[in-house]
Amino acid sequence: MIGHALLLSLALLMDSAGGPQPDLASELVLVEDTSAGTVASLTSALGTALAQPLPPVTPEPSIAPVIDGTTGPKVVIAVEKRPAAVIWTILGLLTIAVLAYVAGDTRVLRLEQSLGISQVITAGFPFVLLGMIARSGPVGILNDEMLAELSPLLRLSLGWIGFAVGFRFDAQLLGGLPRGTARVVAFATSLPFATVLATTAVLLLLTTGLTEASLRDPVFLRDALILGTVGTMTAVTATRLAGAAGETVHRLLRIEELAGIAGLALVAAYFRPTGEGVSWQLPGTSWLFLTVGLGVTVGAVVYAIILRAKTDAEFTALLLGSVSFVAGIAGYLHLSSVVVAFIAGALFSNIPGAPKVRLGQALERLERPIYLLSLVVIGALWDVGDWRGWVLMPFFAASRLGGKWLGVRFGLPGSGLFLPADARNALVFAPIGPLGIAIVVNAQLLYPGGSISRIVSAVIGGAVLTEIVVQLRARAIRDRVAVDGVDPAEGRP
Amino acid sequence: MSILILLLLGFLMHATRSFSAGGQAGASGASLALGYVLLTAFFAGGVFNAMRLPKLTGYIAAGILVGPQVLGLVTERMVSQLGVVNGMAIALIALTAGAEMDMKAMRPLLRSIAAISLIAITGTAIVLSLLVFAMRPLLPFFAGMPPWTAVAISVVLGVVLTAQSPAVVVALRDELEADGPVSRTVLGVVVAGDLLVILLFAGASTVGRSMLGGAAAPVGSLAWELLGSLAVGSALGLVLSLYLSRVKEGAELFLLMMAFVCAEVGARVHLDPLLLALAAGMVVRNFSNQGDTLLKKIEASSLPVYLLFFATAGASIHLDVLGTVGIPAALIVATRGLSLLSGTRFAARAAGASPEVTRWAGYGLLPQAGLALALALLFVKTFPEFGEHARALTLGVVALNELLAPVVYRWSLIRAGEAGARAKPEGDVAPIPVRGNG
Repeated sequence: MIGHALLLSLALLMDSAGGPQPDLASELVLVEDTSAGTVASLTSALGTALAQPLPPVTPEPSIAPVIDGTTGPKVVIAVEKRPAAVIWTILGLLTIAVLAYVAGDTRVLRLEQSLGISQVITAGFPFVLLGMIARSGPVGILNDEMLAELSPLLRLSLGWIGFAVGFRFDAQLLGGLPRGTARVVAFATSLPFATVLATTAVLLLLTTGLTEASLRDPVFLRDALILGTVGTMTAVTATRLAGAAGETVHRLLRIEELAGIAGLALVAAYFRPTGEGVSWQLPGTSWLFLTVGLGVTVGAVVYAIILRAKTDAEFTALLLGSVSFVAGIAGYLHLSSVVVAFIAGALFSNIPGAPKVRLGQALERLERPIYLLSLVVIGALWDVGDWRGWVLMPFFAASRLGGKWLGVRFGLPGSGLFLPADARNALVFAPIGPLGIAIVVNAQLLYPGGSISRIVSAVIGGAVLTEIVVQLRARAIRDRVAVDGVDPAEGRP
Repeated sequence: MSILILLLLGFLMHATRSFSAGGQAGASGASLALGYVLLTAFFAGGVFNAMRLPKLTGYIAAGILVGPQVLGLVTERMVSQLGVVNGMAIALIALTAGAEMDMKAMRPLLRSIAAISLIAITGTAIVLSLLVFAMRPLLPFFAGMPPWTAVAISVVLGVVLTAQSPAVVVALRDELEADGPVSRTVLGVVVAGDLLVILLFAGASTVGRSMLGGAAAPVGSLAWELLGSLAVGSALGLVLSLYLSRVKEGAELFLLMMAFVCAEVGARVHLDPLLLALAAGMVVRNFSNQGDTLLKKIEASSLPVYLLFFATAGASIHLDVLGTVGIPAALIVATRGLSLLSGTRFAARAAGASPEVTRWAGYGLLPQAGLALALALLFVKTFPEFGEHARALTLGVVALNELLAPVVYRWSLIRAGEAGARAKPEGDVAPIPVRGNG
């Protein structure tokens, strides 16, 4: 059901975890009869890689306080600089107010459209910029100490995204699916995964030095798998570009999200961090079961808690508390907050009699503010100084789009599922969306420091780039339809 | 059921914390604590409400119970990690208090507010100063101190211990949906009283410091903190009004940003976050037509804000100090209460206030929280020779007032017939029963 490549990864990882799983892993590998030879060699490489421990959870100084959560005394601004700091703060707030006012002006909206950046703005990326400015030297409000104090917000937003995605994953989505859906989803997730994995793996190897040891480096494999997983993600907003087949595309994308969650769960379970703060040493498969078990347990607790809410304000308070608690528990166990919250949300959504409408409204009301605030923190955390991340970015975006194109190109024929041109285009030229960003940020929290910052650069930059490409493409199609009366995308994407 | 959920949450919290070696969980610890504190406080509030006690006392009690002093499920490190969120909560509460201060509506009450602020609060500061001076044998840090220095330090402590709590007043007003002359007068008095107490503290601590032979705090820095906070807060209020009237979209986000600026930038430039937000809220209410919009926007997030603020306040209470300063603290609490109640009655009568205000307003001045603790910290910095001991005394007094005073004020609002009045149509002044009170 989930992506071809993710299934492969599961088999490989289970195999390489050693101990009691080799038989099961072999059975799973046999499912992929066409690639058995490759699998055998990759299994060996992964097995060797996972036998080595990951670096300890010792963050780099640049993001140490955020990850470590260490807070110290507040840095007080010198007396002579205080008036200037106050004036700049008021001017900063005034600027934000004026910009927000100007942004609503129709002329500005038209200008954004013509520049092809309106979707970038709607998707909230200016908040990333805001975080970068707030972190920069001259402003410096979001310094290390402040970011450390804002860290609960980041984890809360990850949990919120996971919970919301899980809540919207109704089991009924899987029922009554048109024939061939499984094939389309499998291709649409596995091919982008494979292309992103291959392209970025080559680049990661080139930028870190191509040696035999680097092939067996667990950090390299982990980073490549994270990038591959993010590459499979498509924003659900793509549905609006899908025309009459919007409902089918919506269901496809929801199932696709499951692949992203599964990918992150596998990475978090099998690539365990080491160090003083990690007390339990278990095989990867045990961590996977623990992730699912934890998600189900806290999901049941959240259900019992939310049922007690009577007013909207109580719903909001209990939901905030529940999601933060779930995300915190997952973080404490060095598991993915997104995944555990997803399982809890999915459980809630699929229990009969749950107050889904009110919960959905509460989720929706706070989803965007929490996401946008987390983008500010993400922007502040973004290490833009590493050129390797920027090199990775266009390749990541291009290989993802290429993989999506291949997925639709080869997945649809023979599936028996008919999708009109605009729906096919929506699946190919689609933005990455919040879940993709949440996956990479969660990875950054799980594996602080080191190469992960390059991945963040590639994904955030790639997301912006993709939004622009998507919008330019949509405009080109609109223009052609207006001029010729013919949709140029008719036929194959 | 609430108790069962509380037990379940406690079990989960304990089990989770056992996973981490040495309790070093970093950022996840803060997120875990945030969620746990919100949920625990909510259900504890429900249990207290069922016992006809204020929910916010339940929030505080939950904080004490799960905090570092009792069960230790939320450690001191976690409490300090929640600093920014808590600071923003304080700023939002102060914004609410400011936005409730409608000068036009309060005009008939201004005479009473001024009289009570001056007579009851200044009078209580004097009474408490005398009491502290008289209790010198019970307070070891006075040992060997020259009499005039002891007088100066007693005055500073008397002022610190007089401080009120706008946060409790606003939260209880919301919880009971109360409105009327008593709750409006109390709100006005605690806001004016806070300003007065800060001014008195500035003056008294300057004198005290110079008597101990140290350098007194420069007048400029005091003026910066007081007048600067009001001026900058007013400017922020104008920006907020502009946003609410012109932009409208994303107002919740802008409010959070404003609260963040008040809490964090304010602390860095030595401006008082409480005064900043209070002034901003007052400007929005009185110099624009956006006061109701502001209150409506804050209202949506008010419950999590109260839960977090009061539970964290509870977790920060040092119950251990009651063992050493218990008797003097209890004496101070009793004297403070009597002085504020009698001072309010006298002042209200002198100002020609209504019988309800005369009888019940004094109870609203009893709660104590953030300001007294902030002044106690300032006291430690100003008088490092014995500040820690004096701080313990303040913590003891605040702990008792924090737990007992909201119960008394809730009772007084119900008796004054103002509970539930906000939900009633205008003109209907008949007292109505409060939810959960039977």
